[in-house]
Amino acid sequence: MADNMITLHTNYGEIVIELDFDKAPMSSANFLQYCRDGFYTGTIFHRVIDGFMVQGGGMLSDMSEKESRGPIENEADNGLKNEIGTLAMARTQDPHSASSQFFINVADNVFLNHTDKNPQGWGYAVFAKVVEGMDAVNEIKEVPTGSAGPHQDVPDNDVTIDAVTISEAYADR
Amino acid sequence: MNTTNRPIKALFISDLHLRPEQPAVAEAFFDFLDQQAIHAEALYILGDLFEAWWGDDNPDPLPRRIIAALKQLSQRGVALYFIHGNRDFTIGKRFSEETGCTLLSDAHQIDINGKRILLMHGDTLCSDDISYQKYRRIIRKPLLLRLLGKLPQKIRRNIAEKGRAKSQQSNNNKAEYIMDVNAETVKQQFVEHSADIMIHGHTHRPGRHAIELSDTKGNIKGNTKSVERIVLGDWTEQQGWLATLTDAGDVALESFVIHPGEQP
Repeated sequence: MADNMITLHTNYGEIVIELDFDKAPMSSANFLQYCRDGFYTGTIFHRVIDGFMVQGGGMLSDMSEKESRGPIENEADNGLKNEIGTLAMARTQDPHSASSQFFINVADNVFLNHTDKNPQGWGYAVFAKVVEGMDAVNEIKEVPTGSAGPHQDVPDNDVTIDAVTISEAYADR
Repeated sequence: MNTTNRPIKALFISDLHLRPEQPAVAEAFFDFLDQQAIHAEALYILGDLFEAWWGDDNPDPLPRRIIAALKQLSQRGVALYFIHGNRDFTIGKRFSEETGCTLLSDAHQIDINGKRILLMHGDTLCSDDISYQKYRRIIRKPLLLRLLGKLPQKIRRNIAEKGRAKSQQSNNNKAEYIMDVNAETVKQQFVEHSADIMIHGHTHRPGRHAIELSDTKGNIKGNTKSVERIVLGDWTEQQGWLATLTDAGDVALESFVIHPGEQP
């Protein structure tokens, strides 16, 4: 395993990711900080759509939202594309509203890429990619889902992040 | 104007608290106007459509867009009515003319199929909140409102923003029951207006409450009367609320999903 990585230990196996500090410095620093704070431990992948993406990083298994830090700027104009195995920040309709929630693309989602600096065209900021553990991601994308309250595409059985480990290479970031 | 043959007699909404910081709620409102309100004979907005309103001359993009959307709805034949909320009580004649809406006084009655429906924003029902009721009596004086309206935009905007922060701060310190309606005040309103149904917002506690009115002053035929208080909910980025009135005078209270949080 490479040494400059973050590992999400899920109940479907390990997902090892590499942050792109060069192209997405703010999103990467933001994600790393949530990892350091242990924020993601106990959160679930609460929105899973095969052929699209798996989303997590902000909800607990009772579908309550974990209190996150404030929103960050959208770095979707950095040239990185929403391709299979990339991680991007989830957000509300406001382009600059991402906090802790992210998603892993399980398809090449061209329509999520940045096209213009307006609410319609801002797109979703890619900041990392999966370097190991796509088999776990592929298992997660296929879990059965249903609706829970106002939420759709919620896995019937929890897909949890049980722990996050950070390699030493990120110590000075 | 063709107001016949629409399947819904009237729709009621309140407490959208529209503001630029919550674009999902604003978008849901525009969708609601396009897709639902257009099928109604009338739309009643029972206050707090806006989080803050410091003047009909507000040039900001969101209020202008809302005014344009309401105007389009009224031009397409939907009768539009507005009751002031505690956040947007400064809405005035210019807004009314620009949108084509009729401003109603708080406690407006609709008679339908032998039933009387009473519409209010709901802040006057919270009579346990004595400090607010005092403030309300002063700030709603027409002369004071006219004077405030003459202040420069910048100052009015400032006052509105400070007032909003202060109200939030003081509400955090108020007991739960103070923020809800007073049961006796509610009954008084029912008796005073001989109403069968009351629809209001303000409290952000959506629900339906059956009430037995007993005769104290001989105002009620027979000894008791069953009435119902229907409370609209506030709109959040997750959920919106509306009430629907049918020709038969039945009222349904519904919620719908707005935007389930953060997404790609």
